[in-house]
Amino acid sequence: MTENSQKPSVLIDVKDLNSGYGDRQVLYDINLSVNDGEILVIMGGSGSGKSTLLKNMLGLKEPSDGRVLVHGLDLSNASQSELLKLRRSTGVAFQGGALLSSLSVGDNIKLPLRQHTDLDENTISIMTRLKLELMSLADCEDLMPSELSGGMLKRAGLARAVIMDPKILFFDEPSAGLDPVTSVELDQLILKLRKAMNMTIVVVTHELESAFTIADRIAVLADGELVTTGSVDEIKACTDKRVANLINRSPRDVQIDAEKYLSRLTKGAK
Amino acid sequence: MSFDCSEHLNYKVLHLTGEIDLSNSSEVRRCLLDIINQDYSVIVDFSELTYIDSSGMAILVEGLNTANKKKTSLKIAAANGAPRQVLELTRLDQVFTLVDAVSDVKE
Amino acid sequence: MFAQIEKLGASVIQKFEEVGRLSVFLYHTVLGLFSRPFGFQELLKQIAFIGARSMPIILLSGLFTGMVLALQFYDVLARFGSVDLMGSAVSLSLIQELGPVMTALMVIARVGSSTCAEIAIMRNEQQFDALTCMAINPYRYVMAPRLLAALISIPLLTAIFNLIGIFGGYVVGVFIKGLSGTAYMQTIIDTIIWSDLRMSIVKSFLFAVIIIWIAMGKGFFVHLEKGVSGAESVGRVTTKAVVASAITMLFADYIASSFLI
Repeated sequence: MTENSQKPSVLIDVKDLNSGYGDRQVLYDINLSVNDGEILVIMGGSGSGKSTLLKNMLGLKEPSDGRVLVHGLDLSNASQSELLKLRRSTGVAFQGGALLSSLSVGDNIKLPLRQHTDLDENTISIMTRLKLELMSLADCEDLMPSELSGGMLKRAGLARAVIMDPKILFFDEPSAGLDPVTSVELDQLILKLRKAMNMTIVVVTHELESAFTIADRIAVLADGELVTTGSVDEIKACTDKRVANLINRSPRDVQIDAEKYLSRLTKGAK
Repeated sequence: MSFDCSEHLNYKVLHLTGEIDLSNSSEVRRCLLDIINQDYSVIVDFSELTYIDSSGMAILVEGLNTANKKKTSLKIAAANGAPRQVLELTRLDQVFTLVDAVSDVKE
Repeated sequence: MFAQIEKLGASVIQKFEEVGRLSVFLYHTVLGLFSRPFGFQELLKQIAFIGARSMPIILLSGLFTGMVLALQFYDVLARFGSVDLMGSAVSLSLIQELGPVMTALMVIARVGSSTCAEIAIMRNEQQFDALTCMAINPYRYVMAPRLLAALISIPLLTAIFNLIGIFGGYVVGVFIKGLSGTAYMQTIIDTIIWSDLRMSIVKSFLFAVIIIWIAMGKGFFVHLEKGVSGAESVGRVTTKAVVASAITMLFADYIASSFLI
């Protein structure tokens, strides 16, 4: 039994990441790794810094300190061609889909194939339709993005993200704005994708149910800090207040001062 | 990745080895379509195929469609592991005729 | 008192930052012109949008401008007994000044505003992030075709404006004021020299760059606008783009005129 077969290999390594906008620091000393073939969910409330963390992991933003390594490649120091090669095997599904408004859904999904491969147009067409079918968007190929609902846009964005069967998939807020049924279907799709295509998937979300369904590991972010990382059970059992708050979704219990409350409600009344 | 052709009864067998992805699927496409355009029926042997991506699947779909138009057939043999899962994920396992082994094809 | 100075200083620094950002933006866009594969499809679409579909508005405004110029000049020239110079007066004004400037203003109103809004919406919807993550250079794919389309369309539109304006002047001069048609055309041929045409051409290219650069640049950085987001930010940045490009264009007009006259 070799050591390799025990230790999962690390695909993405975030080391001592500090990041912010101008004077405003958003992330403090983040250390996080994503293992090959796992589904990692990054959870946090709004303002926790998860969007910034995602941007850093995608190479869309430079850290003020620290590094992000993908396949051993330091994103800040990578050459254009190294970055290009990496991006070809990485898919990103953005919130709201981020489809190009001037292209039809079909042309949007075909875009990476047309730009980066010389596959025959027949092959490209069948590949696109396979992905559309997978996302239950079979009739939408010729529609324009403006004609799709929010849920459909997300699924189209996901179709585009996985059209080249990437090794790594990032998914930004998959369930935001979706009804519970579609949300569950999307979760199942994520699990199926990992299984069949052996994808490593990083999901950023604040939806608990989804997180618990799909995650191998969960990383909890609060106020720009990585509070803890662990399996679903470990997170559920975590005693840290910030984690517990997130999990239990309890609005912080406020003791009401009846008199003061009443006067706040009726201020200014004649 | 490598592939070679052999024969079984009156079928041509396209034997795929290794991984089929964006970098080599076009080659496979040329070979497959050549065989079909010569009016042969094809069995695609997956027994030594370890991975196939959507471009590979798309090629098989195009092959099946072409074969249907020519009234010949395309079957897939010995689909296991990851390739099998891809067939199931894309629901193409309900579209292709799947057999367990090339030798199972009797006529 | 110091607070006022601080504020002033901060806004000056902001302005410099913005100019810097826009300059880097232009640099990348120009580089994008030379990257493969170039977005020909998008180029054609944009030429149709900027050029072809601006024709009605250019023809109308050109015609009316020429007609008004003729009326205006008739009045002035009559006082000096030189109404036969009408042709050259109208054509010189158009070719040197009004052609490029009016065309630019019409294009700013139509193309500047919508291009800015379009780019701003793309930014807000993370379409540029998506392109970057797909390893597609947004400057090559989105911006460069628009720049080239503007450089092709706007000088042509200017030339058309000039021609239709001269025609408008002809109509007023000959049919309303009773001047001789041949005299009108002859004075034009006699007076207009290459440096006049050169001025028109140089200005139209210069204005083309200014218009499309500011429209795209302001839209591209909409996410840096403080205090607004979503639809409101798009509206604000579009207004700023229209105003900034008009003023910059007029300033450039003065500079160009002082060098080229």
